[in-house]
Amino acid sequence: MALKERPKPFLLPDYCKGCGRCLDACAKDCITLSDQINPMTGLVPVELDLTNCNACGMCMDACPEPYGLRPAHEGEIQDFELEDPAKLFGVKPCDAPEPTDIPNEFLPLPRTEPLVIKGTYASAVGAILAGCRHVYGYPITPSTEGAELMAKFLPKLDGTFIQAVSEVAAVNMMYGTAGAGLPTMTFTSSPGFSLMLEGVSYMIGAELPGVFVDVMRGGPGLGNIAPEQSDIKLACHGLGHGNTHAITLAPSTPQEMLDLTILAFELSFKYRNPVILLGDGYLGQMTGKVQLPETMIKPGIPKWAVYGDAMHRKNLISSIFLTESDLEAHNHHLNAKYEAMKVEARAESFLCDDAEVVLIACNTPARTAKGAVQDLRNQGVKAGLFRPITLWPFPVEELKAAIQGAERIVVVEASAGQLEDEVRLALSKAGVRQFPELESVRRMGGVLPQQSEIMTRVLGRKEVIA
Amino acid sequence: MSKTSVIYDKFERHSHGQGLKGHATHYCPGCGHGLAHKFLAEAIDALGIQDRTVAISPVGCSVFLYYYFDVGNSQAAHGRAPVVALGHKFANPESVVISYQGDGDLASIGLAETVATAQLGAPITVIFINNAIYGMTGGQMAPTTLMGQSSSTSPSGRNEYNGQPMKMAEMIAGLDGPVYVERVALFDAKQRIKAKKAIQKALKLQVEGRGYSFIEVLAECPTHLKMSPEETEKWVKECMEPVYPLGVKKDLTVEPWFHRNAPCFKGEKILSLTGATTEHPERFCKGFPTALDPSDVSLKLAGSGGDGAQTAAMLIARAAISEGFDATHIPSYGPESRGGTSYADVHVAETEVLNPGSPDPQILLAFNAPSLAKFGPTVRKGGYVIYDSSVVTEAPVLDPSIKVFPVPFTGIATDLGKAVVKNIVALGALQAATNIFPKETFLGAIRVALKDKCALIPLNEEAFAWGIKSVEALDQ
Ligand SMILES: Cc1ncc(C[n+]2csc(CCOP(=O)(O)OP(=O)(O)O)c2C)c(N)n1
Ligand code: SF4
Ligand code: SF4
Ligand code: SF4
Repeated sequence: MALKERPKPFLLPDYCKGCGRCLDACAKDCITLSDQINPMTGLVPVELDLTNCNACGMCMDACPEPYGLRPAHEGEIQDFELEDPAKLFGVKPCDAPEPTDIPNEFLPLPRTEPLVIKGTYASAVGAILAGCRHVYGYPITPSTEGAELMAKFLPKLDGTFIQAVSEVAAVNMMYGTAGAGLPTMTFTSSPGFSLMLEGVSYMIGAELPGVFVDVMRGGPGLGNIAPEQSDIKLACHGLGHGNTHAITLAPSTPQEMLDLTILAFELSFKYRNPVILLGDGYLGQMTGKVQLPETMIKPGIPKWAVYGDAMHRKNLISSIFLTESDLEAHNHHLNAKYEAMKVEARAESFLCDDAEVVLIACNTPARTAKGAVQDLRNQGVKAGLFRPITLWPFPVEELKAAIQGAERIVVVEASAGQLEDEVRLALSKAGVRQFPELESVRRMGGVLPQQSEIMTRVLGRKEVIA
Repeated sequence: MSKTSVIYDKFERHSHGQGLKGHATHYCPGCGHGLAHKFLAEAIDALGIQDRTVAISPVGCSVFLYYYFDVGNSQAAHGRAPVVALGHKFANPESVVISYQGDGDLASIGLAETVATAQLGAPITVIFINNAIYGMTGGQMAPTTLMGQSSSTSPSGRNEYNGQPMKMAEMIAGLDGPVYVERVALFDAKQRIKAKKAIQKALKLQVEGRGYSFIEVLAECPTHLKMSPEETEKWVKECMEPVYPLGVKKDLTVEPWFHRNAPCFKGEKILSLTGATTEHPERFCKGFPTALDPSDVSLKLAGSGGDGAQTAAMLIARAAISEGFDATHIPSYGPESRGGTSYADVHVAETEVLNPGSPDPQILLAFNAPSLAKFGPTVRKGGYVIYDSSVVTEAPVLDPSIKVFPVPFTGIATDLGKAVVKNIVALGALQAATNIFPKETFLGAIRVALKDKCALIPLNEEAFAWGIKSVEALDQ
């Protein structure tokens, strides 16, 4: 085979930054610094005199600019006067194909007997049925059992479970897998969730789906491992820096741990946004009856993904919008998504229709409150329970309906008022100014409100009034 | 060398590709990043992997790597590029994933991710641009800044109070995870050829599934070294190279090992993992045990770790659910991981357990004296207390309406030859004392729980029967 003649260099002065790295590279002294400033760039480009050039290519190897010194190929326009780069290099930015959505498949499952499993397990099983095969996590009580179950199941399903070096690493592995367009999740608990928030902000900015199961525990700091509703504020209003929100689900039974985990995956892909599932330590440990659904999902690949194949080559996952106008437009776009998420608001109203005393609670305290409602009804008190299932967006329309006839509202929570703040904010934003003074039953530090405490609160006041 | 097809024809993402920015990088004149980009693009081209490549852009001057590379692009948070790369690699094991990072990104804020990913050893390629300074934020000290080198945060030169320069290639090569580690430079033609080769080799090792590779590139940042590009090249050669010696630091011969099957979505397999079955358990209950409560029976099981209170609680919940009722079980343990207190709250409800906690149970199963003393007084009027009379010597004083059943759980179990079945004796006693469910319901739940240890079933059945007998003996 005859050796092809090696090309000599060619340079458009507009794309020379005048760094001089090519000067040294040429043994034939073909390249010199010009003494003219290029009016287009304000830089001083080099000049070529190729009389002695032996096409060794060294200068091209030394030039850091991709469109700087390059081989002069035959037929290529080499008119140095021509200044429209589009004409020189073509306008087409890249020949990558236009990606299309590969949809999810819904596969039928036989109707099975209910399982008797704990909340964290139920959530893990839900994730598997939702098509998640990539789980990243860092052990933290009381969420670890979910991760442990995944570590056991996923290898058997040719899935991936990686115990990351930290929660920071875990959330960024999620960023990668979500960026590739696949469902991914983590199990964590309050201190770990705090550490993940940088990544959550990036995922929201880059519009990536992902499910975070935060089995909340006592805080602040290392606190303890007992149940507290300590992260409502964080999930609803503190997801890292910037304009961030995510649908936040608050299950109250092992069954809901499964159902809402499946829903979380659906919503996170629907809106291209993380979804937070807030459990509490009690719920994570609680064993109950869990009915499996009758379909499961085999995930497809959305068109925006960077899967690492020809179809998705043109895509970019990024939260960067360098110019202010672009970033403002991106924020408007996010706001529009947040607005659209409002249709996902969900709540359960239990005996609220004629209720004079409405209890508001979520997670395990909602079950305690439900017990209290039953007891109060047995004692002739018209009590009801309003249980937000989404904490963000807050189901304010449902709340308005539930408290319509209420003379008293009692917020029952295992936190210093984080749920109450959500209630107040939602009512205020909805323009509801008239509502009974909010009373509260609060416990903290890993202690849950007891049914007897709710009874005392409700009955104690009632007696005073009467 | 040449513009390759891996570099976009036009940099649409660089100021929307307007004017010269459509074909010029954002790098300063003489910046080493540009050369590293070129060599990386050439390697991708040479290996024919453009469509499979995913490049992770870091935070640092090369944050805009995605302006230039016509491959799948993902932009990571500061320091997190290697773990983002892992997320991509495990999502699609066929993809070729590159984590491109500066020294602040890789050796400072992302050090944990860097080391853990290298040690994990999954085949990704890390290109590490060591320019001995923080470029993007304006010339602060980097972990790789040389002793004596001044920067805006070590204005009079790095000294011992700022710590020593970090030798990443050596550190990574010292780990067992990586297969190939080399340090290269860009300051002369010879080094550039080596750099190109190293980058290409690193990618090839990934494509072949052989493992993790790490290429450290000594690069020029003329802007923050406040020198001309030419002087910077000289500085890298004369000042950096002695601290960061060039060459191969590790090069293992490893057979391809990274093969991953496509994930499984077979329903039957998933159901069998979860233990779900389509078989209906036989039902024995005539109806809800309304003699105990109209709709919701509350139990407390209390003992210390090892008494089997949690297993017994679980069996009650399973038995209830097999009968079509709702049930919950909440375990709680003392802070000791072994031998401490072990309590279980159980509810059995006709349709739905409202409050799953049992602060005032109808039934208490106590395995030791402290548990009996603690929870005995919480039992509701008319309730049941069943306790292990082998270990509780003094009968408790309780409300006279409460039915009390002293049963020697431990004694019976020990006589049967296995003390651990005392919780099953307790369940037998519970059945006989309260008639919460028929015997068969409990036995069904016990058999299901022991389906993988069939040999133990007869012993457990016997223990259960003894529990019943001892309560019946009390009645007589
Ligand atoms: C969490 C976080 N902390 C700090 C920064 C600011 N920051 C941006 S780039 C950078 C240093 C980059 O230096 P290096 O990795 O050496 O890359 P170079 O710019 O030199 O290529 C820093 C500290 C950031 N973006 N994010
Ligand atoms: S190809 Fe070789 S001889 Fe020709 S200008 Fe470039 S370095 Fe000099
Ligand atoms: S190396 Fe490239 S950019 Fe630098 S002076 Fe030479 S041609 Fe210009
Ligand atoms: S600041 Fe330094 S590293 Fe950054 S682009 Fe300029 S020369 Fe390159």
